[in-house]
Amino acid sequence: MVTIYIDGKPYQVDAGQNLLHICLSMGINLPYFCWHPAMGSVGACRQCAVKQFRDENDTRGRLVMACMTPAVEGLRISVQDPQAVEFRASIIEWLMENHPHDCPVCDEGGECHLQDMTVMTGHTYRHYRWKKRTFRNQNLGPFINHEMNRCIQCYRCVRFYRGFAGGRDFDAFSNHNTVYFGRKTDGVLESEFSGNLVEVCPTGVFTDKTFRKHYTRKWDLQTAPSVCVNCSLGCNTTPGERYGQLRRIRNRYNFNVNGYFLCDRGRYGYEFVNSDRRIRQARLRRNREAAFESVAPDEGLQRIKEIVKKSGRTIGIGSPRASLESNFALRTLVGPEHFFSGATVKDHELVTEAIKILRDIPSSMASLHEVETSDAALVLGEDVNNVAPMAAYALRQSVRCKPQAISQKLKISDWDDTAAREAVQDQKGPLYLATIADTRLDDMATRTFHASPQEIARLGFAVAHQISPTAPQPENLDSAALELSKMIAQDLKDAESPVVVSGCSLEEKSILYAAANVVQALRSIGKPARLFLTLPESNSLGLELLEPGSLNQAFAIAREDNVEAAIILENDLYRRSNPALLEAFFKSIPSVIVLDSLDNPTAQKADVLLPAATFAESDGTLVNNESRAQRYFQVFVPQDDIKESWVWLRAIGDALGQEEPGARKTFDGLIADMVKELPFLAPVQEISPASGFRIAGAKIPRQPHRYSGRTSMHANVSVHEPQPPQDPDSPLSFSMEGFLAEPPIEQPPASLIPEFWAPGWNSIQSLNKFQEEVSGPLIGGDPGKRIILPPDPEQAAYFDEIPEPFASRAGELLLAPLYAIYGSEELSIHTPGEAQLTPPLRLEINPRDAQQFNLTGETVLQVSVDSQVFELPLHISASIPEGTAGMICGLPEMPYVALPAWGKVTPKPVNSSTENPG
Amino acid sequence: MIREILAAFTGLSTTLTSMLDKPVTIQYPEEKRPVRPRFRGRHILHRYENGLEKCIGCALCAAACPADAIFVEAAENTDAERYSPGERYASTYQINLLRCIYCGYCEDACPTEAITLGLSYEVSFAGRDKAVYTKDMLLEPAGPQGKSTPQQTPAGVYTRSVPVMENPAD
Amino acid sequence: MNQLATKYKDEISRIMAKYPPEYRRSAVMPLLYLAQREMGYLTDEAMQEIAEITEMGVTEVASIVGFYTLFHDQPGGKYRMQVCTDLPCALRGADRFLEELCQNLGIQPGETTPDGLLQIEEVKCLAACHRAPMYQVQSPEGLTFYEHQTVESALEVIAGLRASEQGKGGQA
Repeated sequence: MVTIYIDGKPYQVDAGQNLLHICLSMGINLPYFCWHPAMGSVGACRQCAVKQFRDENDTRGRLVMACMTPAVEGLRISVQDPQAVEFRASIIEWLMENHPHDCPVCDEGGECHLQDMTVMTGHTYRHYRWKKRTFRNQNLGPFINHEMNRCIQCYRCVRFYRGFAGGRDFDAFSNHNTVYFGRKTDGVLESEFSGNLVEVCPTGVFTDKTFRKHYTRKWDLQTAPSVCVNCSLGCNTTPGERYGQLRRIRNRYNFNVNGYFLCDRGRYGYEFVNSDRRIRQARLRRNREAAFESVAPDEGLQRIKEIVKKSGRTIGIGSPRASLESNFALRTLVGPEHFFSGATVKDHELVTEAIKILRDIPSSMASLHEVETSDAALVLGEDVNNVAPMAAYALRQSVRCKPQAISQKLKISDWDDTAAREAVQDQKGPLYLATIADTRLDDMATRTFHASPQEIARLGFAVAHQISPTAPQPENLDSAALELSKMIAQDLKDAESPVVVSGCSLEEKSILYAAANVVQALRSIGKPARLFLTLPESNSLGLELLEPGSLNQAFAIAREDNVEAAIILENDLYRRSNPALLEAFFKSIPSVIVLDSLDNPTAQKADVLLPAATFAESDGTLVNNESRAQRYFQVFVPQDDIKESWVWLRAIGDALGQEEPGARKTFDGLIADMVKELPFLAPVQEISPASGFRIAGAKIPRQPHRYSGRTSMHANVSVHEPQPPQDPDSPLSFSMEGFLAEPPIEQPPASLIPEFWAPGWNSIQSLNKFQEEVSGPLIGGDPGKRIILPPDPEQAAYFDEIPEPFASRAGELLLAPLYAIYGSEELSIHTPGEAQLTPPLRLEINPRDAQQFNLTGETVLQVSVDSQVFELPLHISASIPEGTAGMICGLPEMPYVALPAWGKVTPKPVNSSTENPG
Repeated sequence: MIREILAAFTGLSTTLTSMLDKPVTIQYPEEKRPVRPRFRGRHILHRYENGLEKCIGCALCAAACPADAIFVEAAENTDAERYSPGERYASTYQINLLRCIYCGYCEDACPTEAITLGLSYEVSFAGRDKAVYTKDMLLEPAGPQGKSTPQQTPAGVYTRSVPVMENPAD
Repeated sequence: MNQLATKYKDEISRIMAKYPPEYRRSAVMPLLYLAQREMGYLTDEAMQEIAEITEMGVTEVASIVGFYTLFHDQPGGKYRMQVCTDLPCALRGADRFLEELCQNLGIQPGETTPDGLLQIEEVKCLAACHRAPMYQVQSPEGLTFYEHQTVESALEVIAGLRASEQGKGGQA
C-alpha cells in the first residue's frame, strides 16, 4: 500500500496499480474508452488524462494518461485540473468528429458508454461541420449487428476478440481515418464469445441482433438477477422483459463465476421463452386415444385429484433443468422413495459419483475465476468449448498466467496489456487437452491427446502415478502416452496452482476417478491443486443432491408395482432414454401428469399437462458444477395460466388434501422446509435475503425509474390502470416504485441488484460503482454459496478402477459422444440464430477406419447400436481416433442413444429402384 | 345627493354603451375561437410529403413524458412494407390523454419532428376508454402527393431514419 | 491455388530462409510484395496462399494488406499517384492541389483514368511535410517521390509517364 494524493486528498492504494483503476475504485469519475477492467490498459484513446505534479510545490504539472501511470508513494495527481479537463473535452470532441448523430435510432442509445463519457466531459456542442466518413457494414451472422460508422477506434473489439476470446476471423483493417473493424468478408463470426462484443464496444458498432428483432429501450426493460440455464456453469445473467416478451440477456457480473463475459449460447439462448411452442394452458385428454383439450387450471387440478386419489402410488420424475425448489416440492409430494432423477441413467450415476468425489477429496472445486488464474491445466475428456464454453474462455486466459513471469521480470505491470503481450510473445503456459477429437481450444494447447474415453482415463491415471508413485498405475500404457504423462506430471508439479478440468460429457466414470487421482496426487506433494468438473445441465448437481432414484428404477417400479400415476417435472424423457423403454413405461402407467414449458414428445404423452414457467418467469435456485447455489428471480409475470412448477405442485398437494408441512405455502417456507429436511442445503437459505427484506421500508423495483408508458401501455385493454402484480416470493417488485439505488452510497445486496446502473453511468460500465474494487468482488460479497465444502485435509484413498486398454473390435466402432455448442442443449436450440448454426447430423470416422469399412465421401451410413438403427451421413475426420466414431449428441432430429456404445456401421443399402441401370 | 344620482346614470350609461358593442361570446361549437400558434393541444403524428410516417419508433417521447402517458412499440421496416424511412417504425403508438399534461416534452424529444401538439383543444370523451388515442387516431392522413403506409419502396433509398440536418450556423 | 508457390518456388524459399522456421509469419511482408508485383494488386487467392505459407490466418494477412497504403486489394491504375493530404501538407495547399489535379484529369480521388494508366489516391503522411504539396508514384518498378509540386508540374510528370508507356508500347 502506498499513499497518493488525488486533488490534494490522500488515498491508500495498491502500489503499482494504474491510476484509472484506482480513481474508479475510489469512486472518482474519470472518462475512458480503450481501457477495459478485464482487458487492462493500452493507452490508446488518450481520454483518461490527468495532471501529475512532481511535489506539493509543483504548480505546473504535466498531463499523463491515468491508465498508463502506476501508483507510487507520494504521487500527486489532479483530475479536476482545468488543463486536464480541457484536454479530455477536446479528446472526446475529436472522437466524436465522425460519430453520426443517430442516437435516437441507435440500439445502444441510453446504455452507451460514449454517451455517458461525452456528458461526463461536458462536450455538448459540435464544431465539426464537414462530411463524416462512412463505411459499408458487414453481415456478421445471426447474433451481431454491425454499424461501423459509429466506431471511435478504441480497438477494444479486436483486442477482446483476438487476444482474449481467441477468434481469428476478425481484425482491424486500413489505417488513419478509415480504420475498419470487421471480418475480411461478410460471414458469421466464428468465436463462441462474439456476443461479448456487444458489451465490450463502448458504443453502437456491435449490437445484439436478436434484441433488434424485438427492440425496446434499455430504460423500458424490466429486469431481475438471473442465472443462465444453458449449461452447468451457472453464469449470472440479467434478462430483460417488456410487454410480456423476454427481449434479451446481458451479462451480470459475478467475480467467482463469469466475470464480465458470457458465451453466445447463454446470451442468445433465451428465445425459447417467447417460442410458439410454449404450453400456455392446462391441457388434458379423456383417454389415450382422445385429442388434447385446453381447460381451466382448476379443471386440470380436479382431474389430477381424480387420478391420484384412487391410486396407491404416484411416482415423481425430477429434472436437471428444473430448480432445486421445484424438484424438492415434487420429492415432498410423492415421497423421497418415489422420487426419481430425470437425468439419463448414466448422467445420474456420473453426477452422483462427482458429488462423492467433491465430498471426499480434500480440495475444493475450482471456480471459473480460479481456472482463469491457474498456471497449469490438464483437461481430461471435456470438449469445453462445446460443453461449458465459459470454461474454455477461462482456460484460454489461464495459459497467460505462467508467462507473466517474463513480463514481471521486466517490471511490466500485468495491467499494461500491450507491453505484457509484447514481452511474452507467443509463450504459453502449460495446457494439456485429452479429448476424443479436435477442439477449438487446440491452438492454445501445449499438447493434445486424442483417444477413446478409456485411454483418456488411463492417461489421467498415469499422470497421477507419475506425480505420486503411491497412486495406482495403469498397465500396458503405450510409450507415447507414457511420455506424455511424464511431461504433464512435470508441468503440473512445477505449477503453483494447477487445475484439472474434467466432467461427465464422455459418460465415462473412470475419467472422473483419474481426474480426482491427479488432484489427490498433487495435493499429496503439497500443491494446492484444484478440480473443475463440468456437469450435464444447469441443475444436475442440485437434482442429484436430493438423492433421487435412477430413471431405470422408475421404469422398473412402473412395470412391477401398482403405480397409478407419474408426475414428470420439466423434463423431455425422450432426450433421456431409449424410445422403446419409454413407450413401455408410458403404456404401463395409467395416468401421466406433465409439467413443462415447451411442447415436446413427453408432453404429448401426458394425460394432464400443466403449463410451467421458464427461468424468466420463476424464482428458484440452481446448483452449478462447483456446487454453488445461485438464486434466480422472476423477471416478469407470465400471461395465460403459466405458473411456477413448485406452485403447481403445491396446488396438487392442496387438491389431494395433503398435510402441508410447515409453511410450504410460500417460497421462503419451501426453502425452510428443504433445509430442515436436508440440513446440508443450509447455504440455499443464505444466498439471498428472504421475501420480507426491505430497504428503507421499500421493495427493490425491477423497473428502472425511467420506465416509460406506465399509464398507457395497458390502456387499450382497460383504461383503469391495473395494480402492478404482487410478488410474495422475493424482495423485488414488478414496478418502478421502491428503493432507488444510488451507488455507491446505498444499494441492494449483490444478489438483489436487478441491473447495474449509477447516476451518469448508463452502460454496463457502471459496474465499477458496485465493486469493492474495479474487477474485484461486488460490494457485500458476490451472490451464491457453495453447498459442498471440502473435508478436512487428510489423504483420501486413490481410486483404482483403471479401465482396460482400448481394443478395437472387428466390424464395429466405439461410438463416442461429441457435442455442439448450438444444438446439443435442449432449450437454446429454440433461438432461430442458434438453430441456424447447428451442425448437421453426421457420423465422424477416422479415414483409416473409413478405408477399412470401404466408406467414401458422400455415403449415408446405417448405424446400429443395440436395437436402435440410425441413418447418418459419413464425415471423415482425421482427428477421430481409430476404432472409434464421433456422434454429436442431443441434436433435435436424433433419438436418444446411450453413448459410448459399440455400433455396427454399414453403408446404407442403395434402393435398387432408384439406381440408374444405364 | 345629486352626485349619487349622477353616479347611477354613469353606471347606466356604461351598460347602455355596452349593449351596442359587438358581443365577445361566440356560438361554440358552431363557431370556434382561434388559438395562438404555439398553443399545445391534442397530438398529431405527421407524415412526409410522400406519405411515409415521420415517426421512427425511437420511443424518446415516451421517455420524456413526465406522465408516462405514451407507449411505443417499434417494429422493423422492410422495403416491401415500409412505414417510415430507416430501420424501424412505431408498430404501436398510444397516448392516454387522461394522463397527458400537454407539456410538449414529447415534441422536444422527437428527433424527426414527427409528433407535435396540435391546435385541437376539443379533448373531451364520453367514456374514459375513449381517451386512449391509438396510432391510427393520431396519424394525419397522407397528403395529396403521398400514399398511405405501408408503402412498397425501392431498395436503398430510405436508409436514413433521421433527416439530414443543416450544419449549425456560426 | 498455389500459383505463387509453383511459379516462384525458388524466390519463396529464398525469402523463407531469411527467417527462423518457428517465425514463418515474419515473411509475410516480402511475400505480399512478391504477390503484388505479380498481379499489380493482391487477389484473395494470393492472400489465402500467403496465409498458408506463413501459417497465419487469412484475416490477419488481409489486415496487414489493409494497413499499408502501398498494398492494394483492388485492381487499379498501372501507376498510383499518392498525394499526402495530412494536416501539414494541407496547410501548404495539398488538398487544393489534389482537387485541381483531379479536375484536370477529370476523375475523383481514388479513381483511375479511363486508359487505366493512372490512379490518384489520397494517403497519409509521407514524411515530407516541409516540401508539400508532394506525392509519390508507385509503379511496378518502384517508388518515386515528387516534392514542391504544382498542378502544372504534376501534369508534366503524368505526361512523362504516358510518353514512356507509349514508348514501351512501341518497342513491344
